[in-house]
Amino acid sequence: MNTHPIGRSRSSNRIRKSFGLRAFTVFNYVFLTLFAFATFYPFWYILIASFNTGRDFARGGVYLLPRVFTLDNYAKAFQNKQIVDAFLISVGRTGIGVVLGIFFTALLSYGVHIRTLPGRSALILYFFITTIVSGGMIPYFLLLRGLGLTKSFFIYVWPSIFSFYNMILIRTYFDGIPPELRESARIDGAGEWRVLFQIYMPTSLPVLATVALFLGVGHWNDWFTGAYYVTNTKLMPAATLLQKILQEAASQQSIKPGQETSVYYELAQSTTPQSLQMAFVMILTMPIVVIYPFLQKYYVKGVMVGSVKG
Amino acid sequence: MAQQLVTSTGAESAARAFRRTPLGKRLFQHGAIYFMILPAFVWYGVFCYQPLYGVLLAFKDYKFNLGILRSPWVGMKYFRQFLYTTEFWNVIKNTMVISLLKLSFSFPAPIILALLLNEVTRMRFKRVVQTVSYLPHFVSWVVVYSLLTIVFTPYGGLVNSLRTQVFGLEAMFYMGEKQYFYPMAVISEIWKGVGWGTIVYLSAITSVSPELYEAAIVDGAGRIRCAWHITLPGIRPTIAILFILATGGILNANSDQVLLMQQPANMSISQIIDTYVLKIGIREGRFGYATAIGLFKSVFSAALMFGANYISKRLGEISIW
Repeated sequence: MNTHPIGRSRSSNRIRKSFGLRAFTVFNYVFLTLFAFATFYPFWYILIASFNTGRDFARGGVYLLPRVFTLDNYAKAFQNKQIVDAFLISVGRTGIGVVLGIFFTALLSYGVHIRTLPGRSALILYFFITTIVSGGMIPYFLLLRGLGLTKSFFIYVWPSIFSFYNMILIRTYFDGIPPELRESARIDGAGEWRVLFQIYMPTSLPVLATVALFLGVGHWNDWFTGAYYVTNTKLMPAATLLQKILQEAASQQSIKPGQETSVYYELAQSTTPQSLQMAFVMILTMPIVVIYPFLQKYYVKGVMVGSVKG
Repeated sequence: MAQQLVTSTGAESAARAFRRTPLGKRLFQHGAIYFMILPAFVWYGVFCYQPLYGVLLAFKDYKFNLGILRSPWVGMKYFRQFLYTTEFWNVIKNTMVISLLKLSFSFPAPIILALLLNEVTRMRFKRVVQTVSYLPHFVSWVVVYSLLTIVFTPYGGLVNSLRTQVFGLEAMFYMGEKQYFYPMAVISEIWKGVGWGTIVYLSAITSVSPELYEAAIVDGAGRIRCAWHITLPGIRPTIAILFILATGGILNANSDQVLLMQQPANMSISQIIDTYVLKIGIREGRFGYATAIGLFKSVFSAALMFGANYISKRLGEISIW
């Protein structure tokens, strides 16, 4: 990223212009600072709320730091079996989903990156068409049900193994590896699997990390599958559980005493429902906040590759 | 250098010789490669092509025990049924309103932000703003929705405590009021996507030729004029492509977000095609009818995208194929 060409010649501008320029620059920095603040502050707000006692927080006026500090909300969250189970499901599906996703996508990318492969373009077309046409939600749901996945943990794993976009990312990176590397390794007697796992994968760590981030975020954040396709409530991941709690909290206003309530009602009610909720949201957000800045260089490049190729 | 030349021509002639070998042998030589692609081939067949065949449901009276193929045909019955329901116009209208609102506000937002970021000469500042701006993209819509509810709740929420304690106003129940549904939907969409959206535009901006700026500065153009007359036209093809793609998504209207924000109070303006399909199909189990609505939506989405592409081409802009 080079500096703006005008920035370099700022001193050569006439005084009248440089006043307008300075006014604009000040406005721009102030605006962008406010923007960054508006983006970050809601997360900070939840963070301090999660460390404040619920009853005190509900009085309002807690803006910058917790007023009555407590770890109670987190303690409650970690003692709640439903929440802990949901996080175990989330961690499990993310771990398994990322490892299998990377493994199979790398295999596919390595395969289609080989230019001498007979039928290569037909194969790529076969994979590409699916990004344009799809059967829609209901045929997809019936397929999942027909495969028995709606009652199984693997509904979180198998349907999200491949994505054309991830394949393009890895393949583009593989295309940049000098083909001589593969050829000489092949001549020295290494099989294709060995070339992939001992030469290609170790040299492609940046792109693999990017795809792992995309896959991991997708798994961790997916609430929809758990809420609409899965019939077994024991398989509910954390994101879905949060959605159920929020839904319950939203409809609480309309519930009259004595009316029948769902199993999430108790969770939403437990003494300080909001602060427990905020601790929950923080636990769900923290892993992402911690990981994503370190991979920025790579995923920004990944998005550019995707926008050029797509 | 010479060494490189030799190896590259060697590799080329080897490749040429390779292409001359008979197909059967070539297939055999690539056995391991086909084996690597096989899982993906099967996966795409099952998870992408099988549902395509499932679209037949839209024309069938689906009976679970008969399966898709042997269920009786009903022709266009479900399409007619959908067109004649009272829900039809309402659902279409809601979808269009939400999408058009987003198209007019959250589509230009990243362009403006990218232009502003491009004017920043302090790289550290720029990087910090960018990093922060990507964060909402990575969190789930559920988290965004809970941020919304907590910021706007009448019970100690940020906005309401400012309203009551600083401005002395009454607390408002923003998330439950129908009139705030559209503003909330648009604001949260911008908030979540604007930073991430700048990546594409910023990369397009870096490919604008610096000579144009130099010439403009010589002619006495200031920053804002440069942004308006050089940067913006320079990224016009990128804007056009993203706009065409956005037009194709008009009937989607982001079901993830809308599903979360739907409440009985706002249902009359928040029921969109996708959420209606979910309600009819998965909650009520009327698979044929729901598939027909889904198919109706896909066909119209494709038509919209072709239309936008055609118009863009006629106006001398870029086309995506």
